[in-house]
Amino acid sequence: MRMQSGWTLIGRMALLLALAGPLAAAVSEPVLDIGQGGKCVDDPRFMRLNHMKLMRHQRDETVHQGIRGGKYSLAGCVDCHASKKNHSVLGTDQNFCQGCHVYAAVKIDCFECHSSEPRRALAGEPLK
Amino acid sequence: MTTAGVVFALLFYLAALVFAGGLTARIVVYARTPVPLKIPTTPAPTTARGVVFRMAREVLLFESLFKANLWTWAFGILFHFGLVLVIVRHLRYFTDPVWFWVAAAQPFGIYGGMAMVLGLAGLWARRILVQRIRYISTPSDHLMLVLLLGIGLSGLAMQYGAHPDVIAVKRFFLGWLRFSLQPMPESALLYLHLSLIAVLMIIFPFSKLLHAPGVFFSPSRNQVDNPREKRHLSSWAAVMDTERPHG
Repeated sequence: MRMQSGWTLIGRMALLLALAGPLAAAVSEPVLDIGQGGKCVDDPRFMRLNHMKLMRHQRDETVHQGIRGGKYSLAGCVDCHASKKNHSVLGTDQNFCQGCHVYAAVKIDCFECHSSEPRRALAGEPLK
Repeated sequence: MTTAGVVFALLFYLAALVFAGGLTARIVVYARTPVPLKIPTTPAPTTARGVVFRMAREVLLFESLFKANLWTWAFGILFHFGLVLVIVRHLRYFTDPVWFWVAAAQPFGIYGGMAMVLGLAGLWARRILVQRIRYISTPSDHLMLVLLLGIGLSGLAMQYGAHPDVIAVKRFFLGWLRFSLQPMPESALLYLHLSLIAVLMIIFPFSKLLHAPGVFFSPSRNQVDNPREKRHLSSWAAVMDTERPHG
């Protein structure tokens, strides 16, 4: 079997891509309702990769050592990021937690015990 | 658009072409290879259905390896079934919405990753520690194990060490499937993981890993033991048969 040179092949593939590019269908990705939003407690890129570790750490501090009121907390996430439509971080694939977790097929166990609604909603305060 | 996105997209198009094209070419060669003799390893099934069962036991349970060497069988099973679970877990990057059984299998994919690495470590230890196996081992025997071990370890390192942005990874691969270039998130471990996988795909059609399609074509496993009931005659021998004067 005669092989054409590697670079020719790569060149042709690049050309094919350039031609196929405009025809390509939109790539699906999570479109999130970030709720109230605002400035996050840390860099959003850092939070995206590490929120699960921070929550687990906070759980240990709170449950084992009784430390409350730290920088990171699950209730804090929910307070800012619950949707203004259904007052929750869950419910639809646009909701803040559910959107990415469904996309990446990562199960969220948090809300089997914890509330997915902001504290002010639970306290009966009017929601903005 | 990131440079990494373009580089990996092209690399994986190349790898997929070599993998699919090379594998097809190999299978064509295997299918056309003459089988002049009736040589099933006995005791062998005497019906076609029996052969299907035998082949299924061979492919799913590695029956002949089980009878030959229990240690190698155990590590082999750990690796192969671990790999199946890992592949199922990784389907989440290529499907949207994720199929329900893939979503359900996610946690088992992590155990699969551990089993895979454990099995590979065992198989490699065998090649190094068993003197007679070390003697017959070629560099490619070691290379395949190192490559797969590297893929497994870099994957587990991402799971337990530094997570990459999996949402961006999925967007990259969904885009890749549709010829739409998407950025690749920055992560050294991810780049290593993906590069090793591309290398594996590219050398697969030229390597010992061809035992995957090859097992289906091995005459000692896929033949029915019926030489007296039905004469075994390959097509090229049949031609010679008609040309030869009968005595």
